[in-house]
Amino acid sequence: MPETPTVPRPTITTKDEARLTRSVQVPGVGGLVGVAAVVVIVAWSVSGSDFSIERFVTGMPRMGEFLVRLWPPDFGRFGLIVELLVETLQMAVLGTIIGAVLSLFLSFAAASNISPPWLYASSRFVLNVLRSIPELIFALMFVSAVGLGPFAGILALVLGSIGTIGKIYAEAMESVPSGPLDALTSAGASKRQVIAYGVVPQASPLLVSYTLLLFEGNVRGATILGLVGAGGIGMELTTAMRLYDYGHLLAIILSIIVLVTVIDRISAIIRKKIT
Amino acid sequence: MTATVETRVGQTRPVVPPTELTIVARGVRVSYGQTVALDGVDLDARPGEVLALLGHSGSGKSTLMKSFTGMAPASADELTVAGRDVLAQHGTRLRELRADVGHVFQHFNLVPNLSAMSNVLTGGLHRAGRYNLIGGFGAEQRREALALLHRVGIGDKARRQARSLSGGEQQRVAIARALMQRPKVILADEPVASLDPRLAGSVLSLLREIALEQQIPVIVSLHVVDLARRHADHVVGLRAGRTVFSGSAADLTDRAAQEIYGEDGEFGA
Repeated sequence: MPETPTVPRPTITTKDEARLTRSVQVPGVGGLVGVAAVVVIVAWSVSGSDFSIERFVTGMPRMGEFLVRLWPPDFGRFGLIVELLVETLQMAVLGTIIGAVLSLFLSFAAASNISPPWLYASSRFVLNVLRSIPELIFALMFVSAVGLGPFAGILALVLGSIGTIGKIYAEAMESVPSGPLDALTSAGASKRQVIAYGVVPQASPLLVSYTLLLFEGNVRGATILGLVGAGGIGMELTTAMRLYDYGHLLAIILSIIVLVTVIDRISAIIRKKIT
Repeated sequence: MTATVETRVGQTRPVVPPTELTIVARGVRVSYGQTVALDGVDLDARPGEVLALLGHSGSGKSTLMKSFTGMAPASADELTVAGRDVLAQHGTRLRELRADVGHVFQHFNLVPNLSAMSNVLTGGLHRAGRYNLIGGFGAEQRREALALLHRVGIGDKARRQARSLSGGEQQRVAIARALMQRPKVILADEPVASLDPRLAGSVLSLLREIALEQQIPVIVSLHVVDLARRHADHVVGLRAGRTVFSGSAADLTDRAAQEIYGEDGEFGA
């Protein structure tokens, strides 16, 4: 048997040795550039946005006055609040489910490991357009198309959901390990079968988790769509604000907080279970 | 061991005369750009035998296996797999050829969050037909998959998620999945490289039993000479894309092994 070859041991300079063992590590060129960039961006944003800590401090007492005026909450129309919150929740459920299903189909087209380049590019473009338009604009559009009410709000949530979640779904599918996909392909499975039995099962815990996050967001989103008459509790909220009906306003806000908190907690528990 | 051929549930297989070769490869060449991965390799695979491919990583074992299913850009004087001229197959025909070739991988490549049963069922996707369009498998396919899980010795774990199984069990599921294809040949690329020696032996024994039962060739790439001696009928040794040994496992002397692996003696125990 040939003897064991001696393993070469590359050395580093003593200076480098000292640098590596120092307790305070100086950031590299990349780190310094990053810090400088953040400072510049923040300064630029302050200069253009009328940002002022001083005015915030002097305005604090008036904020206190506003909150005092809200007190106490008036739950006299609690039945109406519950009714509207239920409507808001129903809008969020439908908007999320329809939006998630459509997002799923769009995300197959927007995942680079599944989709051909031309389809990938065009579906990514559609997703970018949808994401750059605020939900309130969609709501305005649908109110004029299908009339006032929750249906317009649901349609707005659907489009908003696709914009929010489509790209994230697509990225979940792209991050799926490719070994099992190769195995399915080499067993003679078609593209559709590889997606159904390889991509989707591997991505599903992430997909469910993201969908629950989307639902949480949509519950909050649905409370504001009433602002433009697209159903939910938002209309009542703005009316109370305009009529200086502060007791009622605070009751609505507290109810929304309870609903959103409960849903966030439930969703967090489910997400923890599946991942 | 007696060479009785078990017939599986609902399976009809044309009886292959023992002399007929399942794979005939003559002068297989593969190059990726300037790099020549295979430079004229010959190989014969007969039904019922285990054929070991030996060689360093980079010697061309995986590339040779890929060329059998049209996954590597190959040219050859002759390349016939299960009666088909590989180099002439495209599209649907190529998919049919691939469905005839069962694969077993080093890293098992199971879908981790599907059950063992579902993973086996995916081996039958190519013949699942219209029923599968709505996402299901027929009772007959399910019976076959369960029978295969029993065959590889883990029928009791059919419902377990693939990720919750041990390495040896996962490789058994992968073998059952390959069998679900009703393959005419099984290609196993480093099937035991991720397993400890005891499990490696049991997985290779299983592959040998399957070769006999199903009367198909099982081609196994290995990098441990001793495993090839113990579990293979024939051995083909590759070195830098060329055949440097071809013969029965009994003829694989230490000298021959050194021819395959060079002088550094890094072949395993």
